[in-house]
Amino acid sequence: MAATGHSSAGLAVAGVGKSYGSRAVLADISFSVRAGERVALTGPSGSGKTTLLNCLGGVDRPDAGEIRLGDLRLDRLDSSALAALRRERIGTIFQFFHLLPTLSVAENVELPLQLLRVPAAERRDRVHALLERVGLAGRAAALPSQLAGGEQQRVAIARALIHRPGLVLADEPTGNLDSANGANILALLREMTEEARPILILVTHSEEAAAICHRRLHLRDGRIVKET
Amino acid sequence: MIALLLLRRFSLRHWRLAPGQSALLVLILALGVAVFIAVRLANQSAVASFTNFTTTLVGQSDWVIEAPAGPLSEGVLAELRAALGARPVDLIPVVETTAGRPLPSGDTPSLERQTYTVLGIDLIAAANLPGARAASRSFLGSRADFWGDFRAGPRLWVPPALAGEKSLRLVIDDAVVDLPIAGLLPAAPGAPAFPDNLLVMDLPRLQVLADKVGRLDRVELVVAPGPRIEERRAELGAILTRLGRNGERWLVRTPGVQRATAEKMTSAFRLNLAVLSLIALLVGLFLILQALDGAVVRRRGEIAILRSLGVGEGTIRGTWLLEAALLGLLGGATGLALGWLAAQAAVQVVGRTFNALYFATTVHAAALHPGDAWTALLVGVGASVAAGWWPAREAARTPPAQILSRAGAPAAGAWLWRRPWAGLALAATGIILVRLPPLRFAGGVRFPLAGYAAALAWIVGGGMIFASALPALAARIRRLGARSAPLRVTVGHLAHPSSRHRLATAALICAIGMSAGMAILVASFETTVRGWVARALQADIYLYSAGAHSASAENRIPAATWRVLARHPGVVQAWVLADYPLQYGEGAPAVLSGTDLELIPARASLPWVAAPRDAAVFDPARNSGLALVSESFADRFDLHRGDTLRLPTPAGVKALVIAGEFSDYGNERGTVMVERSHLAGWLGDDSATHLSLFLRPGINPEAFRAQLRREYPGLQVFTHSTLRNEILRIFRQTFSITYALELIGVVVSVAGLALAMASVLLDRREELTTLRALGFTHREIALAGSLEGACLALWSIVGGLALSLALGWLLIHVINKQTFGWTLGFAIPGWSLALLAALVAGTGWAVSYAVGRWSADLPADREE
Repeated sequence: MAATGHSSAGLAVAGVGKSYGSRAVLADISFSVRAGERVALTGPSGSGKTTLLNCLGGVDRPDAGEIRLGDLRLDRLDSSALAALRRERIGTIFQFFHLLPTLSVAENVELPLQLLRVPAAERRDRVHALLERVGLAGRAAALPSQLAGGEQQRVAIARALIHRPGLVLADEPTGNLDSANGANILALLREMTEEARPILILVTHSEEAAAICHRRLHLRDGRIVKET
Repeated sequence: MIALLLLRRFSLRHWRLAPGQSALLVLILALGVAVFIAVRLANQSAVASFTNFTTTLVGQSDWVIEAPAGPLSEGVLAELRAALGARPVDLIPVVETTAGRPLPSGDTPSLERQTYTVLGIDLIAAANLPGARAASRSFLGSRADFWGDFRAGPRLWVPPALAGEKSLRLVIDDAVVDLPIAGLLPAAPGAPAFPDNLLVMDLPRLQVLADKVGRLDRVELVVAPGPRIEERRAELGAILTRLGRNGERWLVRTPGVQRATAEKMTSAFRLNLAVLSLIALLVGLFLILQALDGAVVRRRGEIAILRSLGVGEGTIRGTWLLEAALLGLLGGATGLALGWLAAQAAVQVVGRTFNALYFATTVHAAALHPGDAWTALLVGVGASVAAGWWPAREAARTPPAQILSRAGAPAAGAWLWRRPWAGLALAATGIILVRLPPLRFAGGVRFPLAGYAAALAWIVGGGMIFASALPALAARIRRLGARSAPLRVTVGHLAHPSSRHRLATAALICAIGMSAGMAILVASFETTVRGWVARALQADIYLYSAGAHSASAENRIPAATWRVLARHPGVVQAWVLADYPLQYGEGAPAVLSGTDLELIPARASLPWVAAPRDAAVFDPARNSGLALVSESFADRFDLHRGDTLRLPTPAGVKALVIAGEFSDYGNERGTVMVERSHLAGWLGDDSATHLSLFLRPGINPEAFRAQLRREYPGLQVFTHSTLRNEILRIFRQTFSITYALELIGVVVSVAGLALAMASVLLDRREELTTLRALGFTHREIALAGSLEGACLALWSIVGGLALSLALGWLLIHVINKQTFGWTLGFAIPGWSLALLAALVAGTGWAVSYAVGRWSADLPADREE
């Protein structure tokens, strides 16, 4: 697969179910998302948002149903194919940033490109350009612990987008930020996804965050109970 | 009370959550305690086997007199009886010698076979001792049998181990004799059990067999029970001391002092083993520190919750120390059981070494006493609490505000491991310590306390320096991170190591440094001994009594025999050496050696520490007032070239000027070497311990040896090469236990590396989730983990080998010199060190890869 970018393909979820022991976390989840569309997953704690996100990202497997990203059936891929899918076509943003604390800002952002074996010179240029874009070019050598929360999330966004994925999964990206920083991050996320046009699946409790999306899917007890 | 509650509800539940990890930690500590206890039990049992055999037979005597060098004349009995007058004191004259089983024909000669101690006591006199009456009666049997025994010739009483034998064929000096067995040895009430190598004969019979007619090895004196016994015992001691002219004629000692002398004689050897046995414990200590420190990091959130609920600093500290103590208790108890098992094997090795170097011992099993159980628990708990102190302090200082922070920078750990200057300060302290002299005790015993303290300072300091240099290492290899994503992650972690990384590195450096340091010591020793053997052994043939199977053997070659051999037509020159035990000063054991000094310049190139200033010592006409001393003797008694030593002999005290000082690696007690012809006159004995023969050109040593073996079945005959090989074999066997201890140290530290990596990766589960989300495959996650472990192992190898050079130098030039007085050359065993490095690197990589694979399979960290 090309290392310089991926055309956005649609995401289709049909009849997905997932249980932990006897507890059903997801039940008969079905929806589809077009390329470049932003979708918010909302719902109370324990409604299954993050589990659904994990299944979409291939770090967890559904017990039932199917998940298609373009022409690929995620639920049928083995673990190494799922790892390849994640490194090539998926970008993830976490609530707690999850930057590697021992790598610098630039190294964190560069890591997905290294996994794709992009040549060093190209990596350097792309990382620099993206850090310029998120306003952190001057902090490229800093460690995550030396950054404020909002800055860390900007690095995480840069890392999620550096390899131009077709699907970006964001799990409460503003959940650990104050309102000002949260608003900045949402604006950045919107701008950047409008430029690259990946699918964005955004798990959130926040009205402000959901507002940047084209659609909302509301989950309760593992089911989609409302779509707006 | 609250601490106990927290221990139960907080700490122990964490143990239950990770039972494998907790069990491994207990096992590591147990292994450390086990090695310490095994060596302690083996040492104790080997020394305990040295006992005053007469005590076993006839009960405790009050005083023992023996000559400082050579035998006592039988005439002392009459002198003593006259001096004691009507005082109720029993005299027990004793002759003691050794015997060996004859070598089967064609068997390889050996200096390390079972040696029997043959005790000659006056059975009739012994029968009159009140304390031994019961035993003596069974000794003598019925009166008619007893006199029958005497008419039948010499007979043996043997320990239960030899029950069933009708007779024993033994070599005493150069004679092979068949001795019928009269019966089993009857023990005196309350006496220690018989060693398996004790044989008893009637005194006059043994005097004849051992060529000691008219001579005694010691006289034991028993004060009759009754009123004022302490006063009478003291009075007897004073009389004996006066008659013995304060040690010039004989030494006056209690039987307990004899045992203490044996303990002193082996103290240096035992101490070195004990110190070596601490390697595993020291490494285990690092690992406990590491584990508890890691627990502080992992449980910081919970500690903060407890603090916010009002739990005080003292309670948190107490909980942590209780956890450490509990860990120590479990490790100590498990270590005690493992140690006892290991001691059963170790005691055989220690026993063989004692037999070869010091005295006859037959110990087969190591006994466990209640004191040892307490020691094991104390060592386990003590080590664990000491290691837990710092983490406990860190835990207590966790601020409640910490609870607000979910994730942050990796824990850098105790500041101590991040400050290279602290390590450098310790290294500098070590440099000062190595210049301090050893502690000196009575009897010439020295203890290099400052040397050991310097070793500890360098071990800890070295670990600190190299652990704190991990980021610098990572900075140097940072460019490698550009090559692949797993390498990038690895280098990142090395650049910002957690306290676990640092402690694992320090532990591994400690183990490798100590093991490689010991390997350097052994190699230096072996190289030096090889050189010494090459220079000192230049004859073609060497002869010993076939009964002389160990260093403790007293069997000799009678003068009549060695003179015949010296005149053999095939012999160009014969060189006689006669060794005697010497009690120097206040009874410190040493060796008195008589030899043909005139042959030294031509026939042996002695390694001189201080060479004689002129040739007088090599001239029998001028050397009656001169002596050479070994380096060990000079160091022990602080007597050097030009000083005068006073040598008590049966012919009076001889004042000898020390003409020179030479290196000798045969014993660490020290040797005084004088002209043999003078010594024979002073001691009234012209027998030889061994004889070296230089053969005429053209004579085949092997053929000559075979001829002597046929003609002299009571002698052991070595060629130059067989003797050299035998000496080196004994040398290697002596150090065999050290190899085992080194290996255990390395195993513990590699297990520690696995534990550290498992903990590190477990602590980084959030990161593993991220790596998976980024698209790392299982293999790449495992590779990142294994690269991290392998880098730590490699860096530890570099640090450990560097430390080993310093420790090797310290062991050779300070600790060995101060303990044994031996000057050794410095040799680096390149292949052994390479093997050690490859072993650590290989196992380090393998365990890290296994842990990496395991971590890659860990379930994702769920946030919902």
